[in-house]
Amino acid sequence: MIKQVENPILEIHDLTVSYDQSPVLWNVDLSLPAGKLIGILGPNGAGKSTLIKSVMGLVEPSSGYVKLFDQTLDEVRSRISYVPQRESVDWNFPASVLDVVLMGTYGKLGLFRRPGKKEKTLALDCLEKVGMTAFVHRQISELSGGQQQRVFIARALAQEADLYLMDEPFAGVDMNTEAAIFQLLQEMSAAGKTVVVVHHDIYSAVNYFDWFIMLNLHLVASGPKNEVVTEELLRKTYGGKLNLLSKVSELIRQKEFNPLKG
Amino acid sequence: MSDFLYFFSFQDSSIAFVVMGITLLGIGSAFVGTFSFLDNKALLGDAISHAVFPGICLGFMLAGEKNPFYIVGGAFLSGALATFLSSWLKSNTKLSDDTIIAVILSVFFGIGIVFLTVIQKSGNPEMAGLNQFIFGNAIGIVERDLWVYGSLSVLIIGVIGFMLKEFQILVFNPEFGKAVGLPMNMIRFVFDVLLILSVVIGIQAIGVVLMAALLITPGTAARFWTDKLNILLGLASIFAILSGIFGTYISYLLPQMPTGPWVVVILSSIALISFLFAPKKGMVSRYFHRRSYVQKTQRDHVLKSIFKARELGQEGLTRAELLSLYPHQQKSIKNSIRSLEKEGLLFVNQSLIKLTDPGKYQAKRVVRLHRLWESYLNEYMNIAPDHVHESAEKLEHLLTPDLEAMLESRLNFPKLDPHQEQIPRDHDEL
Repeated sequence: MIKQVENPILEIHDLTVSYDQSPVLWNVDLSLPAGKLIGILGPNGAGKSTLIKSVMGLVEPSSGYVKLFDQTLDEVRSRISYVPQRESVDWNFPASVLDVVLMGTYGKLGLFRRPGKKEKTLALDCLEKVGMTAFVHRQISELSGGQQQRVFIARALAQEADLYLMDEPFAGVDMNTEAAIFQLLQEMSAAGKTVVVVHHDIYSAVNYFDWFIMLNLHLVASGPKNEVVTEELLRKTYGGKLNLLSKVSELIRQKEFNPLKG
Repeated sequence: MSDFLYFFSFQDSSIAFVVMGITLLGIGSAFVGTFSFLDNKALLGDAISHAVFPGICLGFMLAGEKNPFYIVGGAFLSGALATFLSSWLKSNTKLSDDTIIAVILSVFFGIGIVFLTVIQKSGNPEMAGLNQFIFGNAIGIVERDLWVYGSLSVLIIGVIGFMLKEFQILVFNPEFGKAVGLPMNMIRFVFDVLLILSVVIGIQAIGVVLMAALLITPGTAARFWTDKLNILLGLASIFAILSGIFGTYISYLLPQMPTGPWVVVILSSIALISFLFAPKKGMVSRYFHRRSYVQKTQRDHVLKSIFKARELGQEGLTRAELLSLYPHQQKSIKNSIRSLEKEGLLFVNQSLIKLTDPGKYQAKRVVRLHRLWESYLNEYMNIAPDHVHESAEKLEHLLTPDLEAMLESRLNFPKLDPHQEQIPRDHDEL
């Protein structure tokens, strides 16, 4: 069940990605509508993070391409915002909450220009939206997991984008934070932004998102909630890896070279 | 003493030049080193500093004398080759980082020593000075060297100051930098060039073997004192300058004494002092912090024991009764009783130790936290009543008023704990 849409905000065409020798995403082909809250579901190691990293150009695909707003990434980069996984950085880095949120303005500032008053005001606004005003000058090493996540989201808001790609923003956060983040995502979606979220918990996902991408090394489903959240598709997503696919991956790994890489 | 005055009054212009050079070198290497320390790449600096040695020897062979342009050029090229090789090995082999660093360091330095031996056999009268590049000799810096090393230092400081934002994101979250469209590969390249240059500028003054210390130690020591990047860079520079000037002074006093080892000795002392005495992160402050926590724990236990005796209908406890409850901590319990008495939480009446009103308030709080936590463990984590005491014994001292309020509301202000003992509130009569 893969539903393609007219005038997609994001189009992924036959995307195959390999790390070193083993393919982690096979022929993903999908298109996403604008203004929706979209969840990417799948078990551990299904390629969820890899999918949004390849949209952001952070991993090189073996084949296929990605188009955003019908253009290439470099043409529309300022309209796209990315929230990496919280664990991907060292939170002992000497920086304050404000310093990190200001990084969201670096893209528009470009090389060499320092953030000024305008950027600072924007950053403070974004911190207010995630309820972190009281922590502006706090060192990031002193934050809890949920607070770190809010800082990352504030940083993404400071990019003032139209499309947001978030890698596990609900991972390791308490229930209050989860509810607050979800409410914020809903507000963003109501304001016409498109939000794509990697999420691991199916039970809460059903309540959160109105469009789903289900991954398990290959694309199982992509479509509106009422059409794709079915027992059959969920079983295909979570019910173990396709046996043959794993065997082929293993074969490629043993060959020590990857025929999928062009 | 007169030597000291002569040196530090800078009336000798050559000394003033050397000190200026060392100061610039200190700031430059502290800036670059702090970033590579934060990036967990401390060893790369060490590998590069050893790897510039064959380049120095080749530069010398080509020039036939200690010409700073040839030496710096040769050092830079062999440092660049080492940096390139290490990243090439990383992406094309399965070798781990530390293996690659160890291989690069020893191979390059080994080749350098071979070259040095060849030069020594050649009988070139200039070669005597070449040994200085191993351990450094700041006093050996002549004006021509200073122009080369000094301007390179200024270049490094300028670029770091100019690209602070770029290097900050390079270290903290390069993936995000790439995602927002910053040319991270170019920024990484500029940083690698700066790292090599910062080694190169130190070869005359500090020497190749110990240059890594001037790169990494200032930032490491400064990290104990601050969590702010600007202050970290400033403090690291000050540490580097201090040790650099002092090392130079020693080389001036004792002409045969190399500068590098003395710089390292001073830097290590600064690092040791930071490690021990820095507020919050230093060992001493952490020791006192822990000790005061342990003392609070023991005082809480004394109050709690008297409170429990009152629950059983006794007026108070005698000193002997109290001590017999804690047979392994006699001395510290005696201290706790004394300090509690001084603070007005206890008083002694006819050899019975009793709680004052503030003492009762404090004791009730400890017992309440203990029993609330027991209830929470029992109710929310399904831990049997006979297994909850140990955990509560430790956490009753830690729980904050915020957490207490949360416990109360989660548990809906319970009257009894899992052992059917009353949970005392402030207004309860004792």
